[in-house]
This record gives sequence, C-alpha cells and structure tokens, in this order.
Amino acid sequence: MLKYILKRIGYMLLVLLILSIIMFVIYNLVPSDRAYTEAKAEITRYKNLPKEERDTKFEEIYHEFQVLYGTDVSNKFVRYLRWVGLAPYSDGRLNGLLQGNFGYSYQYGKEVIEIIKDPMRNTIFINIFVTIAALGITIPLGIRCAVKRGKMGDRTMQVVTIIGYSLPTFLIAIVFIWFFCSLLGVLPPSGMTTPGRPYADNYWRDLLDRAYYMILPLLVMTFCSLGGMTRYVRASMIEALSMDCIKTARAKGLREKIVIYSHAWRNALIPVVTLVVGWFLSIFSGSIVIEQIFAINGMGGLLYSSLRSQDYDVVMLMQMFYVLMSLLGNLIIDIVYGLVDPRVRVNK
Amino acid sequence: MSKQNGSKKKNVFSTVWGWISRTFFGASKAAVPERELTDEEIRRADVEEIVSPLKQIVRGFFERKTAVVAMCVVIFMFLFVFIGPLFMPHYRDSYTEVLQKNVAPTHSMMKVPKELKKDVKTIDSFSTFSVGLSNAGKVYVWGFSKLGATGIDVADIPEEVKNANIKYVAAGVDHIIAIGDDGKIYGWGAKNLGQYDRSDAARGFESAILIPEELFENGVDVAHVKKLECGYQCTGILMDDGTLYLWGNLNACANLDRLIDFSEAGGKFRDFTFTLNYVIGIQENGNDIYTGSRDLFNLVRSGVAASTAEKLKTFLGTRKIASCTATASNVCYVLDDGSICFSGDFAPYALVEAPRLADGEIFTSIVSGGRHYTGLTNRGNVYSFGDNTLGQCKTPRTGKLSGTTRVFAGAFQNYAVDGNDDLTAKWGLRGYLFGTDGTGSDIFQRIVNGGRMTMTVGAIAVIISTIIGIIVGCLAGYFGGKVDMVLMRVTEIFAAIPFLPFAMILSAIMGRMPFSDNARIFIIMMILGVLSWTGLARLVRGQVLVARENEYVTAAKAMGVKESVIAFKHILPNVISVIIVTLTLDFAGCMLTESSLSYLGFGVPYPRPTWGNMLNGANNLTVMNNFWWQWVFTAIFLAITTICINIVGDTLRDVMDPKSKIDR
Repeated sequence: MLKYILKRIGYMLLVLLILSIIMFVIYNLVPSDRAYTEAKAEITRYKNLPKEERDTKFEEIYHEFQVLYGTDVSNKFVRYLRWVGLAPYSDGRLNGLLQGNFGYSYQYGKEVIEIIKDPMRNTIFINIFVTIAALGITIPLGIRCAVKRGKMGDRTMQVVTIIGYSLPTFLIAIVFIWFFCSLLGVLPPSGMTTPGRPYADNYWRDLLDRAYYMILPLLVMTFCSLGGMTRYVRASMIEALSMDCIKTARAKGLREKIVIYSHAWRNALIPVVTLVVGWFLSIFSGSIVIEQIFAINGMGGLLYSSLRSQDYDVVMLMQMFYVLMSLLGNLIIDIVYGLVDPRVRVNK
Repeated sequence: MSKQNGSKKKNVFSTVWGWISRTFFGASKAAVPERELTDEEIRRADVEEIVSPLKQIVRGFFERKTAVVAMCVVIFMFLFVFIGPLFMPHYRDSYTEVLQKNVAPTHSMMKVPKELKKDVKTIDSFSTFSVGLSNAGKVYVWGFSKLGATGIDVADIPEEVKNANIKYVAAGVDHIIAIGDDGKIYGWGAKNLGQYDRSDAARGFESAILIPEELFENGVDVAHVKKLECGYQCTGILMDDGTLYLWGNLNACANLDRLIDFSEAGGKFRDFTFTLNYVIGIQENGNDIYTGSRDLFNLVRSGVAASTAEKLKTFLGTRKIASCTATASNVCYVLDDGSICFSGDFAPYALVEAPRLADGEIFTSIVSGGRHYTGLTNRGNVYSFGDNTLGQCKTPRTGKLSGTTRVFAGAFQNYAVDGNDDLTAKWGLRGYLFGTDGTGSDIFQRIVNGGRMTMTVGAIAVIISTIIGIIVGCLAGYFGGKVDMVLMRVTEIFAAIPFLPFAMILSAIMGRMPFSDNARIFIIMMILGVLSWTGLARLVRGQVLVARENEYVTAAKAMGVKESVIAFKHILPNVISVIIVTLTLDFAGCMLTESSLSYLGFGVPYPRPTWGNMLNGANNLTVMNNFWWQWVFTAIFLAITTICINIVGDTLRDVMDPKSKIDR
C-alpha cells in the first residue's frame, strides 16, 4: 500500500513538472516584460537628466530589474529553472516556487501568497457545505429512485435530473436570482455581507448576516450538483440491486429496508465514494461562475478578476493550485478505491 | 408486506371489474374458449425475429417517445440555426440601433388605432412609439411606449390633452409635445432632462435647456406656428416669421445652444430639423444652413450612395433650399426646383438608392424616419429609400398606393394617406418577435445567428476531441504494452488539467495576442477539443482491449485477415456505439462550456453573438426586472437544446447497453 502511494506521489510530481513547463511556456507567450515596465516607472524620477545620460541610466536600472526578476538571460530553459527555484539568479540567490516565492500581484500590490488566503478559505468553506448538502439530498433521492424504478416518481426525477445537469450553472443562477431576488425579493442578489458591514461589532449578528448572503449561492450550487449525482447514485444502486446477493438476502426473508440499506447500498457505495472525491474537486472549477455572479471573494472570483486585469502571477499560482487539487483528487480516489473495495488490490 | 397487500387489492379489484365488464360488455377475450392460433400469432409469440444490433438499437430508440421528441427538437434546432440566417439578409453582427433599445416583444408598432385610420391629420415618430393626430384634434399613441427602466408609459395621455383640441403634435425619443388650439403647449413622457418640465428636478440637470418660460406659461400663437418637431430629448417650434424656439437636453443635441444664441440674436429660419445629435436650421434666405459649427452637414451629394460630394454653396448655385428633413445621421435638402440632395453619413449596408425620377416628375413631399426617407412625387408615385435593414423601404405594390396625397414616416414605418384623409397603406417595421437588446439589435436574429455560432463551436470542438480520443484510444488499446503506458500517462496529464480555469486562462492569454476574430473562435474550439478528449480515449481503449481478445478476432487473425481489416471490420463496429454516445453527450458538454466561457467573457467576443455571451448582461436586477425578454428567450433556447441533446445521448446509451434491457 505504502509503495503504491509513494509510486503515485512520484508520478504526481512528474505530471506537476510537465504541467508547470506547459504553463511556463504559455505564460511566456504573453508579451510582457515586468523589468521594463518597472524601469520605465523608475526612470521618471530622473527627468532632469539630459537625454543621453537618461538613456544610460535607464539601461542601468533596466538591467538591475532584470537581474532582480531573473530575466537577464534569454535562455527560456534557464528562466524556467529559476522560476521553479532550481537554478540561481545572476546574483547567486535561489528564489523560485520551491523557495516559497509565488510571485507578486500588481493588482493588489502584495505577495500572491498573501492575497490568496482569504479567497481560499471562503471557497473551501462553500464547497464543503455544498458537498454535504448535495450528498444529503442526492443519496437518499438516488436510492429511492432506484428502488422505485420505473414508477411515476422515478420517471419524473429522471426528467428533472436530466434538466438539472443539462443547464449551465450560470443559467440556473440567473433563474434563481430572478425568482428569489426579483420576483420574491427575499434574498440579496450578490455580495457577501450587507454593504459596509453594519454588524461587524456583534459577532453572531455578523455571522447571521453573512449566512443570509450565502443562502442563494449555496442553493444554486447545490441545485447544480443534484442532477448528475442523483443519476449516478441511482445507476450504481440499480446495478447493486440486480446482484445475486440481493436475491439471496430477499430469499432469506430479510426485511426490505435491511436489504436495501445494508446489502445493496454498501455495494453501491463503492463507485459513489470514488465519485464524491472527484466531484468535490470539480466543484472548485464549477464555483468560478457562481463566485463571479454572486461577487463572492473566492478562488474563482480571484481568478476571474486576475485574468481581467492581467495579473498573471496570481493566475499562475491559481492554476497550479487547481492542478494540484485535481492530482490530489485522483490520488485520493485511487487510495479510497482500494480501501473501500477489497477486490481492488492497489499494491500491485 | 405492502407489496402483498397491493397485489391482493388488485386481485379483488380486477375480479370485480371482470364481473362488471362481463355484465355490460359481454365476455372478455380471456373468457373466450381457446381457438386455434393463426400463423401470424404463433410467429409473434414464439419466434423472436433476429435483427442486427444496429436495427435493434434503432428500434429501441424509436420505442422511447421522449427520445424521439428530443431528437426532433434537436434536428429542428439545427435546421433553425443553420437555415434561419439565410432568411435574414440584412443581419449584421455589429448592428446597433440606438432608437430601438430595449424594445419588448411586440408587433404593435404599425397598429394605427381604428378611429385614426379614417381621419389622419398627421403621424410622427422618432423611436419605438408613434403619435398620431386626427382632424378632430384627438391624439393617439401606439407602438412600444414603455420607457426603459423608468416605468413611464408614453401612451398614458394626460387628461388635459384628451380634453383639448390639439393642432400640432410631435414625438421625440422619449417624449411627446402637443400644441392645443389655444396655443398651450402640452408635453408628456420623460420630462426631467429638459424635454418639457420646468420643475426642480429638470432644473437640477445641468445640461438641460428648459422650455422658455413664456412658452411654458402662455403658449404660442398657434395660428402662426409653421412647424413643430421633436428630436432626441429636444424640441423645436418654428414660427411663420422665422423665429425658432428650441429646448431640450444639450447632451443629446450638441449644437442646441448655438442655434438658440443665433435665434436670440435675431437670426431667422426658413426651416429646421433634428438629426440624432444635431439640429440643423435653414437660414431665411434659403442660401445656407446654420448648424453653429463649420462644415457640419455642409457636404452634399445628389444621391444616397453617390460617390462625389461638394460644398453646399457650390452645389446650390442660384437655387435655394426650400425645406429640409433629417434621419438620425443624414439630412435631405429639398431645393426650390424640386430636386433633392443629401448630406451626412449612410451606413453602407442594405442601402436603397433614391429613385431616378422621370422628366418633369418632382418630389412634392419628403418625410424622414429614423434611417430612411419616403417621398411622394407630383405624379402620385411613392418611393422609400435609404437604409432598409428593418424592411422600412419595402414599398407595397403601386396599386395600393394610387390616390395617395400625403405620406408620413414613423421611425421605421411609413403611412400613406389619400385625399379623404383615409389611411390607405402602411409598410415598414411591425415590431420584434423576441424584442431587442440593450444595443437595439433584434434578439430573434441574434438567437438564430448565435445558435449557429454556439453549435458550430460545440460541433467542431467535439469533432476535434473525438478524433484525438479515437486515435489515442485505438493506438493504446490495439498495441498495448509501452505505447499504451505512454499514451495513458499523457491522457492522465490532460485529465488532470482542471477544465474551466484552464480554458479561461488559455482564452484570456490568446485574447492578448494579435489574432483575428475568426482565429480566436477557432482557438476556442481547439481549446475545448484538446481539453475534453480524455474520457473518450479511455472508453475507446477499454472497448478495444475487450474486443481485441474476442474469439472472432482471434479467429480472424488465425485466418490471416489483414490487421487493418481486423481493426476496421471487426473491432471498430464494437467501439462505434461508445463513440456515438460520447459524441452526443460531449456535444452538449462543449456547448455548455462554450456558453459558460462566453458568459464569463472569455469565449467568443462581443459583436459575434453566441447564446452564452447574449446572456452576459442578464445577471443584474435592472435587466431582470425590466427587460425580461433579453434573457428568457435565449435561456430557453440554450436550455432546450442542451436538454434534448442530453436526452438523445442518454437514450442512445441505454439502448446500446445490453444490460439495460431490464430497465424496460
């Protein structure tokens, strides 16, 4: 088992490496030179100098910045190594991702690692909540549909779920906003707190306020997750119900409830568990749209605004974050698969 | 337990029903003594017809009604978006019309009230609503009269106007001005930007030039009014003695103040007219125009599309300007010898050239709409010319127009009136099926063309992803070993890329590079395709692996069948069902992703419509509350299409899966 995990982690690192190269190449396609822009800004302080002197001064400053940012060599490979933190800069220091230098955000004027903390907390909170809520709804629903297969209720749910997963997230969000904010007027259309945070001094009141603003996004996200998940639970439950052991259990005279929840559900759980992990990660990208629509300060919202303002260091780190999440997810799925299903031997 | 109960009840019920039916309808078939079965019945009961898997699939598919309906809808949508544009010759992606912003679905723009039809004195319109005046002095308003998000309805004619005997009436973009027979000036609609009111709210708006106080309080000498005309939030009244009163919003009409200064300094006018942004006055001598700034509308040409233009002075020579009339961007001067000339810009699309009149035929009257002119000649012929994008120049057959003595133009409509003041013909824009958006373009046309773009992007992305998926999957499955290992690792790398963020980033970066619009759209297709092939590749690989080990493949190999034949004749048919199902479901997936990308602004860029970017402006409450048609129709089209494609794909999967037989 340990060997397998180690192997997977090693493989994960390889994928991460390859992806980081791809990312680096893509970002270098963008014509931007940070050293040049900063040197341009710096040179305005030397306005009074005569032109020739100013030009040489500019070259000087430009070079300084190039050394600082490690762009003084034209070799892209060396630059890549410097960015990762495996090759030293011209002044001998190592300052890359591995050393904890994740870049600098122009938009906020801060280190990227600092501005990413808050959004990440928000996003993770939202996603965990949505996962719990969605699972709480979809699992019983899926089981019920599978047990009552072919009945009116099941058929209706089939149609409803197909609608659910055929609609883009933003469309559902728009419809929900229209219904709850425009038609009923009971929920706020966007934001995270009442503007100005009037209850900041009262902890519970503040929390309540924030919860009030979270209702609609959470509702939309949960709703979006229902369709695919219910169908999946239903499918694996149907598969499990047609197994021979179920027939045996029924033949033994066990109560139907026990047959369903103890025998069948356990067998159906295996594919569901693996799906849940992967799906938990997929909401991270799904929440981009939601966070943008509801103006939530989360990872998706940050990615959106950074892309808009061309704040590429932030985007880069976010991208690595998403990739890492996805790779970790795959790893967890594989391990969990082995744990849940004794038939799968992972230490091959 | 409950099941048993249920079946018992059913038994009782059916027994009772059996009695009743036997009493009333005679013995049922079950009770009929056995007879010999016909051959047909035996065949049907015992021998199941052997059908090929394909036939089975088709048959299974057509047994499901929802799926068939869904497929019909999908096919209809395809035809709709790919054939639809052929019927829209005047459609342009970048088309905007400031005079037709935010119009709700309506077809009432040419619906002249019945009472007015027999008694037309004048008809005027500047934007989406029209105002008409009967000889009896009654005012009628029709068309789309709700003003944007303000909640004002221009069709709510004030009581005092209803009671008064109105002599003159004119419509602006959001207000109507009327003059009663006692000279009193009435105004309604939007008021606070200088259109009519002298209240504090109007005074608070800096750029408003308010209606002169003596006009507001005492009215005008109605017997000597020569012309009343409204423009974009501004109004002018010309008196017989050449005095011109002007008021309105200076932001909307940039040279309003200069004409007022000129008039106050004693300048006299023969005629005046409003374009969208300017007011143009014809000086009393008829030799020159006055606009307050040099060269504005001073270059004239003899035709709508004539290539040579010259200075007004040289063009005129000894002739004089008799009158003028203007559309939103150009002016038509009528000279005293009956000839006409044009000044200003014409959009080069859907342009109808002014007619070449026969010798001795001259225009007796020319009226102007939002983008076009309609003229009546001394021989009773009616011509519409100028911009024809909204069909405003489609003149009806001449027979209908005979006896026309007067013509009126709405913003995009035309009305012909005969000698008895009866409305004889009307042509032009009726309205919009799905309304217009915030830039004034027809949502129905954008839905059709946007659907074409959305579906094209989805289809090409899916084709790209399918090709990559099949190649990688087949190679990996068929060759196995090291090739399989390497290809599957590559697949995993691509599968590890989070889809939406990565697509957003790539699209944003590509957007910074100097690509044309078409290239950018192609890049988006590529991104979608390249990021979504991994699932199919895995499926195909699995299927190929299974198929490769089948006995018949081994047998074929043993018989010495060529590898390529094995691959295409023995293995591919096994894989094709998986491919078709994935293709269908991925098509919907790609459409959704494209819509999400475009919605976020990282997909197909603006003037090009797609269903995604058409919904871009929808998530604010102003649009939601006031302009529901701007998102509802697009959303419905997008939703129905993706739902139906998914239903088709799902059913296909069910039908092709032999295990799912139990399901039915």
